[in-house]
Amino acid sequence: MGLFDAIDIAGSGLSAERLRMDVTSENLANAQTTRGADGQPYRRKEVVLQEAAGGARATFASALEGAMGRTGAAPSRGVQVAAIVQDSAPNRRVYDPGHPDAGQDGYVELPNVNTVTEMVELISSSRAYEANATAMQTAKSMFTRTLDLLR
Amino acid sequence: MQLFDTTQLALEAAMHGTSQRQTAIAQNIANVNTPGYRRQEVDFEGQLSAAMAADDRDAVRRTAIVQRTDASAPVRIDGNSVDMDVEAAGQARNGLMYQALVAVTKARTGIIQSAIGNR
Repeated sequence: MGLFDAIDIAGSGLSAERLRMDVTSENLANAQTTRGADGQPYRRKEVVLQEAAGGARATFASALEGAMGRTGAAPSRGVQVAAIVQDSAPNRRVYDPGHPDAGQDGYVELPNVNTVTEMVELISSSRAYEANATAMQTAKSMFTRTLDLLR
Repeated sequence: MQLFDTTQLALEAAMHGTSQRQTAIAQNIANVNTPGYRRQEVDFEGQLSAAMAADDRDAVRRTAIVQRTDASAPVRIDGNSVDMDVEAAGQARNGLMYQALVAVTKARTGIIQSAIGNR
């Protein structure tokens, strides 16, 4: 049924945007981390999203529509996270000879995290989250209207 | 006159198409940050109005809901063609349209019910 699909799709959008926000928070939290898991400076992480693969699902609704001779539209499945990749941008180099992780030349390798970029990402994912929540709300109220027909 | 005339069938087809359009809008909004995604649009009005004009009950009942990629939308630098303002406006319009369809259906059902004497 169309409207339940809409709610599922908005849900997939909500969880994708939440993950983006989680990753952005991790980047911000580690903006000054010079010793990551591998002993090297932390590398900025980035979420890659992709459209969730559609494909015909053998559901009751699709069988019913086929039997009624109504050509249904291609099913949509929302969005999914393809990967969390590391940003290949070079590390920041800051002259700080007193730092315990400073090299021979006095420079410290700091993570390739730009706080301003992360803040922009944070706002973008937060707005997209709200938009998905609104889409879910709209589908829900449409469905409620249909139920009103029975009263 | 039949109990469920062409108008009733058209209302049903339009509600079906409108809910499919809400699914497409949800899909577009969910993929607003997906690189290379092209926005989807739903069309059923063209076929439905042709079937209504011909007063062909069967064609109205079998109105195809076409979901296709919108080729005319401008594409962002990351290959994505979703514009959040367009989707928000489309969602508002679509939701109101659905409410209108439900209201008309309800009024018509009420007429039939009062004719039956089931009030």
